[in-house]
Amino acid sequence: MTATTIERRPQPYMNPYLAGIGLGLVLLASFVLVGRGLGASGAFNSVIAWVVNAVAPAHARSNEFIAGYLGDGTESPLKAWLVFEVLGAFAGAMFSGLLAGRAKVMTEKGPRVSVRTRLAMAFAGGMLMAFGAALARGCTSGQALTGGALLNLGSWAFMLMVFAGAYAVAYFVRWQWR
Amino acid sequence: MTAPFFQYGMFGDETSLVVAFFIGIGFGFFLERAGFGSARKLVSQFYLNDLAVFKVMFTAIVTAMLGVTYLGWIGWLDLSLVYLVPTYLMPQMVGGLVLGVGFVVGGYCPGTSVAATATGRIDGLVYGLGIFAGMFTFAELFPWLKGFYQAGSGEATTIPGAFGIPYGIVVFAVVLMAVGGFYGAGLLEKKFAAAAGE
Amino acid sequence: MRNWMSMLTLNSKLALGAVALGAIALFATPYPGSTVTLDAKELALTVSKDADRVEAPELAAWIIEGRADYRLIDLRSQGEFAQYRIPGAVNVPMAGLIDAGLRRPEKLVLYAADAVRASQAWMFLRAKGYTGAYLLKGGLEAWKDQVVFPVLADNPTAAERTRDEKRRSMSAFFGGQPRSASSVSAGGAGMPGLVTPVTPALPAVAAPPSPMGGAPARTKKKEGC
Repeated sequence: MTATTIERRPQPYMNPYLAGIGLGLVLLASFVLVGRGLGASGAFNSVIAWVVNAVAPAHARSNEFIAGYLGDGTESPLKAWLVFEVLGAFAGAMFSGLLAGRAKVMTEKGPRVSVRTRLAMAFAGGMLMAFGAALARGCTSGQALTGGALLNLGSWAFMLMVFAGAYAVAYFVRWQWR
Repeated sequence: MTAPFFQYGMFGDETSLVVAFFIGIGFGFFLERAGFGSARKLVSQFYLNDLAVFKVMFTAIVTAMLGVTYLGWIGWLDLSLVYLVPTYLMPQMVGGLVLGVGFVVGGYCPGTSVAATATGRIDGLVYGLGIFAGMFTFAELFPWLKGFYQAGSGEATTIPGAFGIPYGIVVFAVVLMAVGGFYGAGLLEKKFAAAAGE
Repeated sequence: MRNWMSMLTLNSKLALGAVALGAIALFATPYPGSTVTLDAKELALTVSKDADRVEAPELAAWIIEGRADYRLIDLRSQGEFAQYRIPGAVNVPMAGLIDAGLRRPEKLVLYAADAVRASQAWMFLRAKGYTGAYLLKGGLEAWKDQVVFPVLADNPTAAERTRDEKRRSMSAFFGGQPRSASSVSAGGAGMPGLVTPVTPALPAVAAPPSPMGGAPARTKKKEGC
């Protein structure tokens, strides 16, 4: 992120329907090429499995959840499809952000909240999200988006509950954004 | 029938990782283009003044759904080889609820936090660290959670399969629902735009 | 028509397009179900060239070399599989063939209790696009007769002697014993149609049956998102 990109006026976002079609075509390409959809939270799981395995291998093996991401131990848990996909997503988002002058070191928050509080909320939200994603076997990309397009029953039930959960709590955390 | 290419052996495991990277680039690119690298843009969905999350997500779902339906129909894509997450209804619904709360509290979901971090958002990065902490906690608590985690059939069930409705009818219903939803979203945005003060 | 179209915004055009595509998709049946397609010509060519089969001694040589570029599929019941199996074989009963996680380009060598069963499975897999499916020629009987209990010549010529030496070591590797040609023909004397098999019982398997794959035993990593 160079100074010039920060100074430049950020471009407006893309028409949501066109962005949606783009995203949908990427998802379709994933189905056609590798027979699976997009995902994100699984990559975080693989990284956790890798760390735990490096620090305490016996513990990693004995934990059924982590052991699932280790496989038979012949390959690094980081050598996983989703890990590479998420690395690509990082690169793709950075490319798009730089191109549009939207890449900028900052903290997203409303005017009435301190940076520290906002970051604490982000951390807490991340933890909750991870818990939910682990329980649901997928996040908004792996379940809602991918499963939604394949008319997966569990994914649609999941998606409705995501919106339900978010709308139920939105009112109580509005101080964070407004 | 020649797709999915990977299942038909057109490339191996190693190449599939390269493919993953390039698919990821497209994924991240469109997430950022849509504005999903910004927590404020994302959570606007839940305050009804900007329903971009709904619009982008359902447009993507409709696009990919129509794509697989047509490709499967002409016999070009073997849909039975496309991975379906197995259905465990109860944990998936509770997980969705928890995830939804995490979404509005933290401002992101895993994929969008990656896009946010890539474009310099510190809260996105911290959110990612939160995901790691949450995943680790879940893994450590897994022996106690396992019973609930595995509650359900565990079979990959589609809506047409579960209710015995022809696939095409469900597809058409989803398209109508999405288009109707987009129309409604426009009305909602107009109504709540005044209340929002970005 | 053109005027009417130009009145619409981009978003409305997209919505109209989606509804139109959705309406046509009403009649779609995207899942293939249980129907298969077969390239009859290609199949016939493969069979006539004998390119659909692997000879038992060839397979034995692969096992001895420790080759891992193929997968040996035992289509019999679990009980039969537990009693005897060719080393490295994976037990995949007929009913579970499609869900067994076999990969299409993989080289699959099939055998069953009888040749008909195996060739049914072969046809089925080929129809489903498993281009690397092969039959073990002669099935388990051939494996027994040619590999585990091979026949050695009584008065071997020089050429036969080297061949027999190979057979002897192969048989020893798989826990069998060579037989002499005279003993086989003695047993087979009489009505040719009513030959009672004189091959001894197959040796018991030493190792417990492995759940998935002898040669390429791999536990798949979980990768759910």
